[in-house]
Amino acid sequence: MDPTTAMYVAQGLHGLAYGMLLFLVASGLTMVFGMMGILNIAHASFFMLAAYFSYQVLAFTGSFWLALLLAPVAAALVGVLCERFLLRRTHAFGHLGELILTVGISLVILEGVKVFWGTESLPIHVPPLLEGRLALGGLDYPIYRLFVIGLALVVLGVLAAVLYTTRLGMVVRAAVSDAGMVNALGINVPLLFMFVFGMGTWLAGVAGVAIAPILTVFPGLADQMGMDAFVVVVTGGLGSLWGAFLVSLILGELNSYGVQFVSQLAPVLMFLFMAIVLAIKPMGLFGERE
Amino acid sequence: MTRRAVRWLAGVAALAVLLAYPSLFGIYFTNSFVTFGIFALYAVSFNLLLGFTGLLSFGHAMFFGAGGYGTALALTHLKGLPLLPALALGVAAALALGVLLAPLMVRISGTAFAMLHLAFGQLMYVLALKLRTITGGEDGIGGFPIPPFSVPGVLSVDMKTPANFYYFAVAVLGFSVFALWFVTKTPFGCVMVGVRDNPNRVAYLGFRVPHTKAVVYLLAAGSAGVAGSVFAMFQNLVSADGALHVFVSFAPVQLTMIGGVGSFFGPILGSAIFGVISELTSRYTERVELVSGAILILVIMYAPLGVIGMWHAARARARARFAPRGAAEPAR
Amino acid sequence: MNLPRQALTLVVLASLLLFGVADAQAAQAKAAFDPDKMADMSDFDPNKPVIPTGDTIKIAVVASFSGPAAVVGQIYFISVQWAAHDINKRGGIMVDGKRKLVEVIKANHASQPAETKKVAERMVLQEKVNVLWGTDGSHLMKIINQVADKYKVIAQSASALSDELYDTTNFSRYSFMSSFSTEQIGRAIGFYYGKIRKKEKKFYILGQDYLFGHSLADGFKKGLKEYYPEATLLGEDYHPLFMKDFAPYLQKIKASGAEVIFTGDWIPDAENLLVQARQMGIKLPFANLFLDEPNMLHRVGVDGTTGLVHVSQYGAEGGAFKTPGQIKAYKAWNTLWKTKWGPPYNTRLYEHGTGNIGSYIQQTYWLLSVIERAGSTDPEKIIKVWENDSYQLLNGKVLTMRSCDHKAIQDLHVEEYVPPAKQRESFNIPPYFWYEGTSSVGPSVAIPARYVLPKMDKSLARCKDKSEAGE
Repeated sequence: MDPTTAMYVAQGLHGLAYGMLLFLVASGLTMVFGMMGILNIAHASFFMLAAYFSYQVLAFTGSFWLALLLAPVAAALVGVLCERFLLRRTHAFGHLGELILTVGISLVILEGVKVFWGTESLPIHVPPLLEGRLALGGLDYPIYRLFVIGLALVVLGVLAAVLYTTRLGMVVRAAVSDAGMVNALGINVPLLFMFVFGMGTWLAGVAGVAIAPILTVFPGLADQMGMDAFVVVVTGGLGSLWGAFLVSLILGELNSYGVQFVSQLAPVLMFLFMAIVLAIKPMGLFGERE
Repeated sequence: MTRRAVRWLAGVAALAVLLAYPSLFGIYFTNSFVTFGIFALYAVSFNLLLGFTGLLSFGHAMFFGAGGYGTALALTHLKGLPLLPALALGVAAALALGVLLAPLMVRISGTAFAMLHLAFGQLMYVLALKLRTITGGEDGIGGFPIPPFSVPGVLSVDMKTPANFYYFAVAVLGFSVFALWFVTKTPFGCVMVGVRDNPNRVAYLGFRVPHTKAVVYLLAAGSAGVAGSVFAMFQNLVSADGALHVFVSFAPVQLTMIGGVGSFFGPILGSAIFGVISELTSRYTERVELVSGAILILVIMYAPLGVIGMWHAARARARARFAPRGAAEPAR
Repeated sequence: MNLPRQALTLVVLASLLLFGVADAQAAQAKAAFDPDKMADMSDFDPNKPVIPTGDTIKIAVVASFSGPAAVVGQIYFISVQWAAHDINKRGGIMVDGKRKLVEVIKANHASQPAETKKVAERMVLQEKVNVLWGTDGSHLMKIINQVADKYKVIAQSASALSDELYDTTNFSRYSFMSSFSTEQIGRAIGFYYGKIRKKEKKFYILGQDYLFGHSLADGFKKGLKEYYPEATLLGEDYHPLFMKDFAPYLQKIKASGAEVIFTGDWIPDAENLLVQARQMGIKLPFANLFLDEPNMLHRVGVDGTTGLVHVSQYGAEGGAFKTPGQIKAYKAWNTLWKTKWGPPYNTRLYEHGTGNIGSYIQQTYWLLSVIERAGSTDPEKIIKVWENDSYQLLNGKVLTMRSCDHKAIQDLHVEEYVPPAKQRESFNIPPYFWYEGTSSVGPSVAIPARYVLPKMDKSLARCKDKSEAGE
């Protein structure tokens, strides 16, 4: 590969890596919305929380792998508690109330993070096993980013397997499209909601841990990621996993090649894409539900 | 004394307090009141869409910002532009944006409406950051001249004096709020509510739903533009973060929820409560997020219909308890 | 020591001879910080600050004390309070016929423009402060200056670096910029590469896409043109604030063949940029303004930080410690940091009390010295003393306040980051290194003030017939 081709390929991989991370965050957000109708503003806060948890696990055990295992679960646990004791109680008062509630939760998490871990940025390192770069025919690419792509694909695979081959997945999919009907069939929908909310925050948590070695872990992390995830979910169609997947990849690549070719316009491209898609299809690419 | 007389007296007293406010409370609280007034009008204009027509916007800041940028740009580039035309140009900018978006927006509602506004709001925000030569980017447009309020040959009042600006702002904002309130009381106001509750029936009755929506949309856009324009002149600055950020779009959602979504005056009350809270937090704590977060959670948990809703509920309970059977219906 | 290092030292020595020793200015300073007069600071604790009340000299530190950038407020507060505590223990300052203590008040602007105006007005109108000290963000400092101008109180711009704050449209005679400023920072780096280092020739600018980032870049371009015409600029890119993935930019820069990346990014952008570059195997040096925060440097370790070129407003030619007084003052801070302070002030960020923190402390001492010599808190009297004043800092550096546009004329220092074993060149007292786990300041050269005079807006009437040196 000549250097120019290598550069274009590398740019493509950067876009893929970022797009995959974005998808991990957005997938949870879109599932929660599809099922519960909640636009969860606090979603990115759980993402940030997991990054901080992973710092804590690393500080105690020194193992990145343990952090990858435990931190998302811990974040999901906090998410489940929020669902059970806050969101569920206000469900009857409509989605707008829940939305404001999640704004409140995100603010409290921001403050909590500062109380426990301080205001400075925290160092999280790439695990030794994944350090360094892979040289491949003129391409010189960081292994950790390849790992992130792989991790996201595995999570996506497991998610798809659970949703499309298990009974649980079938029920979840059914509840996403019509929660009332599923409830009428005698399934414990509140429990299902809690499960989906937990799974959504777990997905965000995985992204939080995966991104921590690349991105600065500081109290503004959630703000940085939140808007991108919303753009993905809204453009892909609220509640649509495939929409989120597709748009994540498009935005990732739009960012990479945007910087390469029209660097001055790169930050506008994402929102322009969203505005155009929504102007044509107000419910997003794959959105149907009102 | 009749009820009517009491109302008149209360009105006169309120007017007297408003007039004497700057000399009673000093410059700082005078400015705080102007801030409150701006956000009250902004929230009312938002609630015109949400509370009366059932349209939730996550991008209302774009009209607020358009008003601000319109006025700021006009005052920067047009030498000697008087005060009221500057205000009018800001409102015109907001209206123009509204006219541009209305054909698209009147055909959708619910989530799509909210999201499309989020999208366009964010697009405006990044464009304001990006087009630095026009908008000043992150720093915004500031330091433009604030013209005096003048009637040629009669009087000229300096608007850089906080008390003078207060009277100007209170007059403009107060008139706008009154105008919006008046609209909700007209037959057209009833059609608006009809569009919210049952658009099909409104259509069967012969009213054109998209046209009604468009008029409400432009009213909301224009009045948000008034708020934004006054805000820009008050701050002598308009910036992307201060006028177009997604937090600025979320602000009226919060103010409305705290005050009470179903009522015209809910957002105003919400703004007042929020003003007092932020005044207190900025003095006594650095844990600003914790306080505002906890308040939002508590309001939604325990007063989901806002303070006004809570008050109505309490009054209904009190009536049910103390009044004789059958008298619990609201007074007519 | 290897050969290139010796060669560099020779160049440095030669340039010293050529451009004259910076200390020559010191004798002219009208006032100086005297470490021998410093009070016993052993009771200083930023978590339990002793803040006098009543009839005091009031300084409001306007900064973000909440939100994601709360750390900035903490840094400012400990710095200003340190100087205030010292002066208070010495018995305060004689003003208007009365000895008064210095009261530091936190004013939280939460990084919001509207909130900045509100809190600054509250400080002036209700707390009756004498000085507004600020702040993180030039767009917010602009608002503080407007409030200062409107209500006629003194403002000190100690950390908002944009030149535009003091141009025709924004200048206020009540506001003084005691920090360095964007254009001179960029030019200083241009000067360093062109006149002192004379090695790398190919540059790339990567900055934040807002006024500050562009002003810095313009300064650097001007510096290259003036002092390094042989250099080529291979490209310039400006990314949005709070960027997440820098890889596309870095990939592009790598392919361009640049030898140095110039950046004015601050954290978190600075940290993401550095960390992601090193992860991608891009070892290019960054010529930078804010890549000096120790937490971030430790994240990429010694290898990842060697060769960084940093421009500082609180540097020193050669060894940092030249007088016993300096060592005493340094130890007073460092000992307390080691033994006394609790979170958040017990992290690496606060270890040395030099660098930016040192600069904020010394800028505050300058302010207090001006008030003392004015013998009054009357803004007009303060303005009279501060204009054309010069003050020698603890580290020997002299700041001169250009009277026509209120910008500080000063030498700047460009520092090269080297591994711990070589840091003794700068940290010339035991343990002979700044940080054990990262590269830090080694060779440090002065860029004499006359080569990097702060930008002057000639359309400002007060500056019309003044030279840039202020005469």
